[in-house]
Amino acid sequence: MWCGPGLTSNFLRVGARGISGAPVDILLKAVGDTPIMKTKKWAVERTRTIQGLIDFIKKFLKLVASEQLFIYVNQSFAPSPDQEVGTLYECFGSDGKLVLHYCKSQAWG
Amino acid sequence: MEEDEFLGEKTFQHYCAEFIKHSQQIGDGWEWRTSKDCSDGYMCKIHFQIKNGTVVSYPGTSTHVQTCLPMEEALELPLDDSEVTEATAATEVIKYEYHVLYSCSYQVPVLYFRASFLDGRPFSLKDIWEGVHECYKTRLQQGPWDTITQQEHPILGQPFFVLHPCKTNEFMTPVLKNSRKINRNVNYITSWLSIVGPVVGLNLPLSYARAASQNE
Repeated sequence: MWCGPGLTSNFLRVGARGISGAPVDILLKAVGDTPIMKTKKWAVERTRTIQGLIDFIKKFLKLVASEQLFIYVNQSFAPSPDQEVGTLYECFGSDGKLVLHYCKSQAWG
Repeated sequence: MEEDEFLGEKTFQHYCAEFIKHSQQIGDGWEWRTSKDCSDGYMCKIHFQIKNGTVVSYPGTSTHVQTCLPMEEALELPLDDSEVTEATAATEVIKYEYHVLYSCSYQVPVLYFRASFLDGRPFSLKDIWEGVHECYKTRLQQGPWDTITQQEHPILGQPFFVLHPCKTNEFMTPVLKNSRKINRNVNYITSWLSIVGPVVGLNLPLSYARAASQNE
């Protein structure tokens, strides 16, 4: 289901609930000891949720279930899992893209 | 191994004050409460929710009632009984209470919470699990008793559920270190609550993110 890097720009369109506006450009940055994604720039459907992004990054980085992944805007604030990327782009995007930091953690026990 | 970022109690109170300032601006319902001898205090919020996820206010019950609607709607919600008639079947409306206290032993904030039906019946841990967002469920189910425990509230002396603070430094340190690199002042409480809140059904409106970065 998850294809190789050659189809990067189409990845996150698969499974989206219909097209609602142009996708937004996201730049993913790793925090701390979290592995850096080979592909950092993604075009993501506006309706994609933070949870969806988290699941995607976890699969991409091959994290195990016991590892938690957090995504931040403004390098400090973790949006709710059901927050949509389109909304975040409108609030925090600049220069035509939304920068999101992600961090791996064994947080829950 | 990165040096852990510990939070002093005075700093904790300062960040809470900043957090509450913004909460008041957007009507998010957080307030500060002190213990009887005023030596310490905590942040507190109460909100009401229907079991299927729709949120309504329940006017008349308490002046502390607030909703958790998206920020654009929070200030426009009419506190009018007729608006909530369909949602007030007593067994379906749940009262959530969230308290943010400071832990001296761990030197981090701790989230205490409890929930009950309107008729006073308390929510069980199982009921609380059902309210946990999908993306956290797998992890929590692997070891729930390591993560959420029931303890006596240090100030009120009543039983609350507690999100265990032992791993707090682990997930806060990278965020704080990263922000320091670019000289951004981060409100520890805002960041921390944005991370732990959703685990127990508490979602912070996005405006907190902007407010936190403006408090230089």
